[in-house]
Amino acid sequence: MVTVKLFGLLRLDSGVKQLELEAATVRELYPRLLVELSRRSPASALTLKDLKACAVAVNECPAKPGTKLQDGDIVYLIPPIAGG
Amino acid sequence: MTNYAGYMGRVLEVDLSTRQEREYPWTDRERERYIGGKAMASKIMYDNFTGKEEPFGPENLIVIATGPVTGTFAPSSNRFDISTLSPLTGITTSSNCGGDFGFYLKKAGIDALVIRGQSQEPVWIEIDDGKFIYHDASTLWGLKTGESQERLKKELTALHGPKGRYGMVSIGPAGENRVLYAAVTSGERAAGRGGTGAVFGSKNLKAIVASGSHEIKLHDREKAMEHHKKWTAALKAHPLTGSQLPRLGTAGLVSTMQMRGQLATRNFSAGRFDAFEKVSGEALAEEENITNTGCLSCPIRCSRTVEVEGQKVKGPELETLGLFGPNLLNDNLKLVCRWNRELDELGMDSISCAGTIAWAMEANEKGLWNNGLEFGKVEGISQLLDDIAHRRGIGNELAQGSKRLSEKYGGQDFAIQSKGMELSAYEPRRAVGQGLGYAVSNRGGCHLNGGYLVVLEGLGLSIDQQTPKAKADFCMMMQDLMESISVCGHCLFTSYAVFPGFLISKPNSPISRFVNFIIPHIGWAIRLLNKFPGIACMNLPLIPYTYELRYAVGMKMNIGRFLKIGERSYNVERAVNARFGVSAEKDKLPKRLTNMLQDPNDPGSKVPLEQMKRIYYRARGWGKNGLPDEKKLKKLGIE
Repeated sequence: MVTVKLFGLLRLDSGVKQLELEAATVRELYPRLLVELSRRSPASALTLKDLKACAVAVNECPAKPGTKLQDGDIVYLIPPIAGG
Repeated sequence: MTNYAGYMGRVLEVDLSTRQEREYPWTDRERERYIGGKAMASKIMYDNFTGKEEPFGPENLIVIATGPVTGTFAPSSNRFDISTLSPLTGITTSSNCGGDFGFYLKKAGIDALVIRGQSQEPVWIEIDDGKFIYHDASTLWGLKTGESQERLKKELTALHGPKGRYGMVSIGPAGENRVLYAAVTSGERAAGRGGTGAVFGSKNLKAIVASGSHEIKLHDREKAMEHHKKWTAALKAHPLTGSQLPRLGTAGLVSTMQMRGQLATRNFSAGRFDAFEKVSGEALAEEENITNTGCLSCPIRCSRTVEVEGQKVKGPELETLGLFGPNLLNDNLKLVCRWNRELDELGMDSISCAGTIAWAMEANEKGLWNNGLEFGKVEGISQLLDDIAHRRGIGNELAQGSKRLSEKYGGQDFAIQSKGMELSAYEPRRAVGQGLGYAVSNRGGCHLNGGYLVVLEGLGLSIDQQTPKAKADFCMMMQDLMESISVCGHCLFTSYAVFPGFLISKPNSPISRFVNFIIPHIGWAIRLLNKFPGIACMNLPLIPYTYELRYAVGMKMNIGRFLKIGERSYNVERAVNARFGVSAEKDKLPKRLTNMLQDPNDPGSKVPLEQMKRIYYRARGWGKNGLPDEKKLKKLGIE
């Protein structure tokens, strides 16, 4: 079980701050996360592309789709963002 | 007088010693070369400063300048600029501000004010349709910025009735007491950086109020209005200006900066903060933010409104959040909101104030200066801010900024400043181009004047954060572009919409990946464009500024000319600063950022400054001393 934390507009749109999921890799996480978010927030209209566009970090280290996940890992999903 | 629309055709010199005004000579030829805003101010300082002036002397100038599009109701384009010789850095500073003062100054029939001299008594100036009235400000002296502006409104209502509409700027106690990083406040917006407020204070100038009924003309009203409509739609449709900034504000960057190791933490000793979520833009939006607001004619509306002690007030920007949060090891968001309000009311720059406090905390920890301040210890910060503004106790020392204090107590390696100005919240060891920008920036450690390269290095595009390749070239180009945008009166946030939205919202697409890959390899093309701006003798829909100058102002413009205006502005500012001792030796960063690794296991996690500086000077056509020579200035038409 990994903890997935959502940020930016992904969090504001879905109304979900974090959730727990089973996944062996980041790639495997995406569809499961989409199903869960669609269930919790049907109006959010998120797509797999939206999730894949996010920057991913595992335990605060940048990660790739192939990055393996272990029990207790924290996965951060941050949508593209800019400017300040 | 002027033949161009947008301008009011009047630049006025105001002598506070004699309380007299006269026309400052400013021709259409100069308008074509410098447009307005800070470029105009830099040229005026170039013509007036010898290098012997003192920031608090009567000979110092305060130039308050609008751009030709200020007040034309182009989207996000009502800004004005305050430039002066900075007491914090000893060189020029220019501080850009939103709100509505620029609009009302133009309604009063004036493009810019050049203020010199020193009033004997506290004074506030009323500019009513071009007529100057000097009022006694002794009853306003000592008031905070909000109270001062409220009192002014009451006085104006008593004088002229309740229907008047005014724009105003005012200083607070920090400016009166010459805190070296005191700000000038307009409504709740601030010209924050470099101590413009302290120079107001030194001249006994508490406030300026402008109003009038002059028409701000457009060259081709129909085309200009159509252009504004299209531009507004484009800003609203863009993922950054239409969605992220309105909903999260600049604070939305905290999470991304954390992941990229760019979030200045513990006086820039780290780039990540364990409790970052508590002071993130998301937390601000969910727990504190009531609504978002914006400046006059702005569709972006990036400003946050929060509640502090029962009042709805402006919320913190990223810089305040980052530097009063992670950089002080503080995870209390409510306190940051409160301090932000107090800083605005006292009239102080939050960046330099926080940077100085962070240095003092570390100096205390290292036993260099026993001041009682500790990282993570938040009790008493409110009182400390008040003490700084009123120059009481250690506040009197902190009012001088981190450079002077580190020269007195030691600890220069961790005084996070450049040319005396404290750095903003981006940790440059994970954005080395931003590090170069901080060092070479004309006004000192400023992210914007430095070219804001971090927008390419993870906070927008995703080019390699650590490579120095092409960073010098892009630093130059971004500086010039931002100068050009700013001098017109536009908000720099409009420039984010210049990046095609898909490059940001689809970072993993083949095109985005290619762009991120190719940028570090095309520094040569930027140099070529800089050398031969005629290559870009075109206009592109992605770059709305040139159309704006053509339709609203009636000025011939293309991309090449537009960039050249920015280059001229940057060079003339540099030439003024050279008279006050700026050279390559002053373009530096503290050793913490250039010699110490952010990650001991990553030898690349520091700023390779000298390597990038050499390329930067070459790209700019400057000598090894980091300065433009006479030939370069002449080539740019700076006379």
